[in-house]
Amino acid sequence: MTSGIQRLLRETARVTKLSALMSTWQGRFIAVFVIAQLLLPLHYYLARKDPHDERFAWRMFSPMRMARCVPSVAIDDRPVNLGSEFHEAWLEIAARGRFSVLEAMGAALCAKHPKAEVRLSIQCTYLDREPQSYGGYDMCTVPYL
Amino acid sequence: MANKRKRSKPQGPRPGAAAPAAPAESRQARRAEARKTEREDAPVKPAPRFELVREPVFWFGFEVSWAKLALARFVIFTLLAIDALLQLSHAPRYGAGGFNVAQLPGLDALGAGRIGFELGQLACAYLFIYAALGVATRVVVPASAAIYAWLYFGSQLDSYQHHYLVALVLLLACFIPWQRREEAEPETPIRTWAVRLILVQLGIMYLWAAISKMSPAWLDGRTITGQITGPLRAVIEDTVGFKAAARFTVLAELVLAVVVWIRPAWFIALPLGVAFHVGILASGLEIGLFAYLMLAFYVFVIPDRAVVWAANLAPLRAVRAGLRAVRIENTIPSAIALAVCLGLGLLLARFTRFHAGFDLAIVLTAFPILAVTVARLRGRLSVIPWLGLAHVLALALWLVIDRTSSLAVDYYRFWGGNARRLGEPAVAELAYRRLTEIAPDLPNGHYQLGRLLLDGEDEEAGLEELREAQRLEPLRARAWLAEAQWLVKKGRKAEAIEKAQEAVYSEPTNQTARDLLDSLTGTKSTPPQGAAPASDDDTDQP
Repeated sequence: MTSGIQRLLRETARVTKLSALMSTWQGRFIAVFVIAQLLLPLHYYLARKDPHDERFAWRMFSPMRMARCVPSVAIDDRPVNLGSEFHEAWLEIAARGRFSVLEAMGAALCAKHPKAEVRLSIQCTYLDREPQSYGGYDMCTVPYL
Repeated sequence: MANKRKRSKPQGPRPGAAAPAAPAESRQARRAEARKTEREDAPVKPAPRFELVREPVFWFGFEVSWAKLALARFVIFTLLAIDALLQLSHAPRYGAGGFNVAQLPGLDALGAGRIGFELGQLACAYLFIYAALGVATRVVVPASAAIYAWLYFGSQLDSYQHHYLVALVLLLACFIPWQRREEAEPETPIRTWAVRLILVQLGIMYLWAAISKMSPAWLDGRTITGQITGPLRAVIEDTVGFKAAARFTVLAELVLAVVVWIRPAWFIALPLGVAFHVGILASGLEIGLFAYLMLAFYVFVIPDRAVVWAANLAPLRAVRAGLRAVRIENTIPSAIALAVCLGLGLLLARFTRFHAGFDLAIVLTAFPILAVTVARLRGRLSVIPWLGLAHVLALALWLVIDRTSSLAVDYYRFWGGNARRLGEPAVAELAYRRLTEIAPDLPNGHYQLGRLLLDGEDEEAGLEELREAQRLEPLRARAWLAEAQWLVKKGRKAEAIEKAQEAVYSEPTNQTARDLLDSLTGTKSTPPQGAAPASDDDTDQP
């Protein structure tokens, strides 16, 4: 056990020869790659406004993956069937509550119906938190959820 | 270095060597003399090479045996080729309705459309086979990495974490010396920092995956209960329970995060990682070939001596010797061999049913020709048979995957269905026509095409298609129903009743058929026009 820990520490010490590492392009590439991969997932926990968007964070099969959202859109107060506007694969992503896709859908509908009011909202249920609603306002005026 | 040493070796007797002795008298003496002469004439063995290892040794001193690298190359790239082909049925969703959201802001317009995605995946599969066989890897690995990155980063449609991992691994794979050095034997150590970086990347992935699961909803087993459906579900239920399984998952990921990139800990990483991913395979999670791909990455942590031992078994040694003997260096036989391979490749591609498969195969035929030209200019003639063979095998894989799966049928079915739902009947008609061409015995294409034609101007052709669907699926009401509804619209009530009766006979449990028949015969007051439309189902299963 002790020898295992010593071996681990030795390996870790060997990795941290940063000045030697940064002296070649391969070393600089390795450093940038490792640091980026270590830090990029932090973006999800610290900065991302959309909790449903788990891309680049290695959150495979996380509880958030079980979130289910129901998007609804109304153009000038008339409900829109999203299935006739967007491919069902996009609707599946929207049903997971991904803001960037829903916002793009809102933008596409605003472009298709200029001067109209496009209200988009999603109601989400979660495994580990209370249900929540997002949006509900005119996406042509405020294009972000 | 060894050659230089040989060339500089003096041709005369070695300095200090004993002068030739007089012929030996006895048999024993003659044998001893022969052995001595043999020793002296034997080629000088190259001295072991001591290359200076750059610091940090952790990265730049990392070595794997050539046998292991070659095995990993074959397994990983073959799996990637199969995976690329299996993605083809997703092509119709790309660019559908002119809508796309890229992985990165500002790249929406650069995303692939249906044709672009199909061509990209076919090209990736083709290039991955070259890489699997170790042919032109310095070209095909970066090319396939670029295409894969374009497809992945260009759209969020297939944005699972494993696509991201593959994009990263392909980037790193560009820096691995996949191609065999002239003198490399199974035990030859190959120095490669990129393999170490792939293993570190896997470690980082496991670490963050474990962190993402450190929440009550995972640790109390709720999440895993809702996700696992396969045979593993019953095993967990009957043994440790979901709570323990959830906690073990986190523990396993944490351990793998540490041991997968440290060589002395590979004896833990190999059994644990393989068991973990085999477990995921059995869990019924819909992740395509990802679990297999993860298992393929574990080739890197198999002990080198085990792979070298296997590679040195007599049958494999013989295969290797045979493969190395395949060298056609004469110009005319080379040209003939290549022409045969290119012709055979095109023939194989002709039988694939992918929409743009044959056209792309024609374009890809230029690749081995170009590669051969470059190889000849660089004085490497022995690559020609390999280029031809890789070309044939890559296109053969297209054909095998196509003919042993429903990919092509699904492609046209999804394409037609999307176009129909998004209000593009002309495009849908094109897709369904092609579907009926490649799968004339499947009723769905005839049914959907029949409905489309009845809505258009060619009603006679539409009826013919519906009748073909009725013949092919005698136990399903939808085609009879569609014809009955069309007859109702035309005011031909008696014929409509007849078809509605056929619909009920063929599928007595179909409520829509019963409602239509009841309304037409006056049993129900609902007007015929008010009956539910014929099934929109795109499947061929009753």
